[in-house]
Amino acid sequence: MVFGKGIAKGLMTVVKHVRKPVVTVQFPEEERDIPPRARTNLVWFVERCTGCSTCAQSCPDGCILVDTEPREDGSFLVNRYEIDFRLCMYCGLCTEACPYEAIQVGGSYTNVVTNPNRLYKDKDDLIELANEYLEQHNWVYPNGQQAVKQTVHPEERRQHH
Amino acid sequence: MVSPTIDTGGAPIPLLDPVTDVEDELRSQLLVSTVDKVFGWARRSSLWPAMFGLACCAIEMIATANSRYDLSRFGAEIFRASPRQADLMIVAGTVTWKMAPPVRRIYLQMPEPKWVISMGSCSNIGGPFAHGYSTLPGVNNVVPVDVYVPGCPPRPESLLAGLMLLQQVIEDEHANNHRKRRPEPTGDFSRMLPEGDPIRAELESLFPPYLTADGQPRDRFTGALPHDENFLSSR
Repeated sequence: MVFGKGIAKGLMTVVKHVRKPVVTVQFPEEERDIPPRARTNLVWFVERCTGCSTCAQSCPDGCILVDTEPREDGSFLVNRYEIDFRLCMYCGLCTEACPYEAIQVGGSYTNVVTNPNRLYKDKDDLIELANEYLEQHNWVYPNGQQAVKQTVHPEERRQHH
Repeated sequence: MVSPTIDTGGAPIPLLDPVTDVEDELRSQLLVSTVDKVFGWARRSSLWPAMFGLACCAIEMIATANSRYDLSRFGAEIFRASPRQADLMIVAGTVTWKMAPPVRRIYLQMPEPKWVISMGSCSNIGGPFAHGYSTLPGVNNVVPVDVYVPGCPPRPESLLAGLMLLQQVIEDEHANNHRKRRPEPTGDFSRMLPEGDPIRAELESLFPPYLTADGQPRDRFTGALPHDENFLSSR
């Protein structure tokens, strides 16, 4: 019988783990890479949207509202496009349904609020969010396509639509 | 509403709330504000959450507490099994009507500087079950919520962001020397549950004036009836 065998064994475990790399991600300073198909927040791009409402029909929660009116040339003018992020379950079915990939996943996932009604995003909020996303990601859409750099100020765009 | 009093045998002395009943002149004094800032620092730096996982959001909450995301870095050291030892309730998951009275009861059992994070779409507004018969449409109908974390379920980073926002809220309310009163739930469930529903009766007994089904007053903190020795206050 040897004394101290258990202590030596325990210390060896400690020494082994000291050499291993640290697994903790220091979150506010560094972020983990998100997998490309991860379902994070939705981003809606007004310039890609044709107003066909396929996303609203595919939404199981019914959290997307699309209101359109026909233009002279037969296309649709999107009057209202609203997403209720209080209700949204981030399933990504709208992104799979959209034929023009106007709504895509890949947005910021740290949108925490103290007032839940601020999670209801109307068209202007969604345009601002999409512009923020494109500015942060060098004008590349989440699906990898290159976006045309918009120089229109959000206020002017708001009056335009 | 009758303000609480201390019974000393003689004339009743009104019990003042140290947060709301201080005069404005006194509130702006240097000593009070400095001590209050230290309180705010201490409170935001040691938020101990109560274990309250209800559904799949709990898995993400557990992932947040584990080494990769490490909730302890923010002072939320350990998940307490007893609400008496917790400052923070993370409502993680679907709150069914059957679970609503325990949620309210555990909130009432927590000691006073207490905060609530609503995690995930289900507890924010009901999520995919918002129009269902069995689910509470938002946990803010039962407890006052400070921070809402969207997601289904939220990523661990989202919960950490919610915790940091809550720390900011606590620091602000102490730096500005007043507590922002969160919207208290009304305790009126007449539009959601039918008359004579046992869960509705139980829920309404947990809201002021804390009456039992017989109309007797119940203690706010212990839930005791008047003849019990644990009956502390008549509020």
